[in-house]
Amino acid sequence: MLKFALAGNPNSGKTTLFNGLTGSTAHVGNWPGVTVDKREGVYKKCDEPIALVDLPGIYSLSPYTQEEVIARNYILDEKPDCVINIIDATNLERNLYLTTQIMEIDVPVVLALNMMDAVEKRGDNIDAKELENRLGLPVVKISALKGEGLDKLMSIAYAASKVKREGKTVLEETALKHLVKDLTIALSGQGVENPVFHAVKLAELDDLEVLMHKDAVKMVDAFKKSNLDDTFGGDFEALVADGRYKYITKYFSPTLKRKNKDKFIVTPSDKADKILTHKIWGFPIFLLILFAIFHLTFSENLLFLGALFPEGYVTLQGTAFEGVFGEGGINSPGVTLMNLVGLLTDTISGGISSLLENSAPWVSGLICDGILGGVFAVLGFLPQILVLFLFFSILEDSGYMARIAFILDRALRKFGLSGRAFLPMIMGFGCSVPAMINTRTLADEKEKLATIRVIPFFSCGAKLPILTAVAGTIITKGSLTAGYADVITYSMYLLGMLTAFVSVILMRKTTQKGEIPPFIMELPAYHAPQIRNLIALLWEKAKHFIEKAFTIILASTIIVWVVSHFSFTWTFLDEEQMSNSILAGLSGLIQPIFTPLGFGSQLADYGWVFALAAITGLIAKENVVATLGSLAVGLGFAGIDGLFLATGITIPALLSFIAFNMTTIPCFAAVSAAKGEMSDKKKFNWTLLFWIAVSFIVSSAIYFIGTWWWTCFIYLVVAAIVCVVINLIDKKTIKA
Amino acid sequence: MGVVEILVIIGCALIVGGVIVKSIINKKNGKTSCGCGCSDCSKCHGCKSREDEKNKTDS
Repeated sequence: MLKFALAGNPNSGKTTLFNGLTGSTAHVGNWPGVTVDKREGVYKKCDEPIALVDLPGIYSLSPYTQEEVIARNYILDEKPDCVINIIDATNLERNLYLTTQIMEIDVPVVLALNMMDAVEKRGDNIDAKELENRLGLPVVKISALKGEGLDKLMSIAYAASKVKREGKTVLEETALKHLVKDLTIALSGQGVENPVFHAVKLAELDDLEVLMHKDAVKMVDAFKKSNLDDTFGGDFEALVADGRYKYITKYFSPTLKRKNKDKFIVTPSDKADKILTHKIWGFPIFLLILFAIFHLTFSENLLFLGALFPEGYVTLQGTAFEGVFGEGGINSPGVTLMNLVGLLTDTISGGISSLLENSAPWVSGLICDGILGGVFAVLGFLPQILVLFLFFSILEDSGYMARIAFILDRALRKFGLSGRAFLPMIMGFGCSVPAMINTRTLADEKEKLATIRVIPFFSCGAKLPILTAVAGTIITKGSLTAGYADVITYSMYLLGMLTAFVSVILMRKTTQKGEIPPFIMELPAYHAPQIRNLIALLWEKAKHFIEKAFTIILASTIIVWVVSHFSFTWTFLDEEQMSNSILAGLSGLIQPIFTPLGFGSQLADYGWVFALAAITGLIAKENVVATLGSLAVGLGFAGIDGLFLATGITIPALLSFIAFNMTTIPCFAAVSAAKGEMSDKKKFNWTLLFWIAVSFIVSSAIYFIGTWWWTCFIYLVVAAIVCVVINLIDKKTIKA
Repeated sequence: MGVVEILVIIGCALIVGGVIVKSIINKKNGKTSCGCGCSDCSKCHGCKSREDEKNKTDS
């Protein structure tokens, strides 16, 4: 099969083009670093199928970042039949820098001028025919977002792939012209492929090239000695870069006809950034937006409008939809959808229960209490997960997420972290696994390790059911109004973020001390999220959540129910005897460990339920709620709420339970991802201990301070001592 | 023990056994064990398990 590679700068539209050509739903994030590895698909509309490879966005083919290495190695080693170089037409000159490097490789190249709709909206125009003549490469105008010009691009690329092409350099007018020519001849004589590309890279004294062609390096050294040049202090890499840009400005830039030649245009994105990235108001605005998201997902008093409606107006008392849309206040979209799903699952459970009325107690117990109780407890939270995921995707797609990293960079830099590290952390709100993989884009190993360790503290979608379930009980116990659900959930998310930042600060002052890497990032223009992509993403998320519920979670609830309803002598136990079960016995052994956290021995007969739920969360965090749901029904309670209230667990202990599950060892998949990103087994083991230590410290602090307020002074004194010791060690290290 | 009870036991055993076996087979084939699916993951093809799968296919 033919192979075409899509190469271009970050945010030039490669993945959007890839999705448009392959029909894929690959994730398009409107910030750099979303694609950290190549992605493959197939285009089927040409005479023969073509394998398309979406490469990570790069600014050059120099091997400074992992993305550049991946893209460069792919083009040189895999020898694609054609390289489609996607150009952001709104930033023509900067994007053409990469083009001048790709042109040096012996591979057919086609230029795709993307975002032409944005160029035309500005009133500008690019003479594609003229650009084609000057480059010597086919140029096609497209709009990947609108799907315009894609088939034409592929048919031209297909035709180009049938014609052999030799590399060409744009350095003809620089002082290095003869050196590059001599190196090309020498490398050709040695049978080296892509001699022009390697010659130019050698002239730059590229690290990889120097290693590969040690003999040819002598030619460069000899040239340097005989042609002393003060320009750029003899730095040939800078000379080459300067040569490229001069050539672009002289020969290619004139093809762009600007409407407003001399005026600096303030775009709508610039105007929005004046407010959203304001040095004082930027962060509070971010917190407000985050609260708005939580309000729309979890609130039971949307926009606090409950007081405006007559009593019972929203409740729909006496109808089949009683309480679905609100009780006292209007439910947010997330809560409304959750209630509707709850109605459906209750109907199904009721139907199956009546069918199994005459069956053996253990059969109806296993199916109704165990399986349905556990799986439906988790599925009930799917709507809220999707609503939250939708809002985060909108933030990401619109380009706002990139701004948050920029805003936080100012604040985080004082604590030893760059804003670049915040991007993987934000991804942790969705799932810790891709977030940990995204840390590959962090060049500094110490910063990478610190980031991997704190990613689980940004509660992923799987932990959401825990937060929601426990928040509901806190409201009941505390006799709070229903409108507090979003406040409690939001506060716990903020606690996770605070724990992450404090942990990173401590690590960067002690074990992961190092220089703060510079943070340079292109802020993409704001644009409306693509509805098609959002719907496709939500559908995939829902599909896989349901698949997970009916596989891993289903299997877990069956195992949990069986070992919680049978004794060690394999006798079936009813709900009053469950504390004599295999599971209660085993969980009872670890129950004392959780006593300092408020949900251990002090809960007497029911403490083992919490310990067990936390342990099953290691398989998948959704299991915590599935286990609680299954056991709650098995123990004769209406639901998780009933179980919590019957145990006598206090509010500080409930908050401690949430905090423990948020900060402890994440699910096995995330642990595996973390291990994969760490080169050292020792570091991995320390990471596991770190997670256990942080979860115990944070949870116990919440429990003790919440129960005995004066213990806050003890924690403050300990924290002060730790800060002093760290500062002393810090000063000692600096002196040394 | 009636037919229903036997069917329930077999069904549950198949579910539990099937999930465990599928996880082991997926792991051996280098497929993701994340459980979240790949196509909506922004790190599709960036996951180590995918790398293993590719290496297996190439060799």
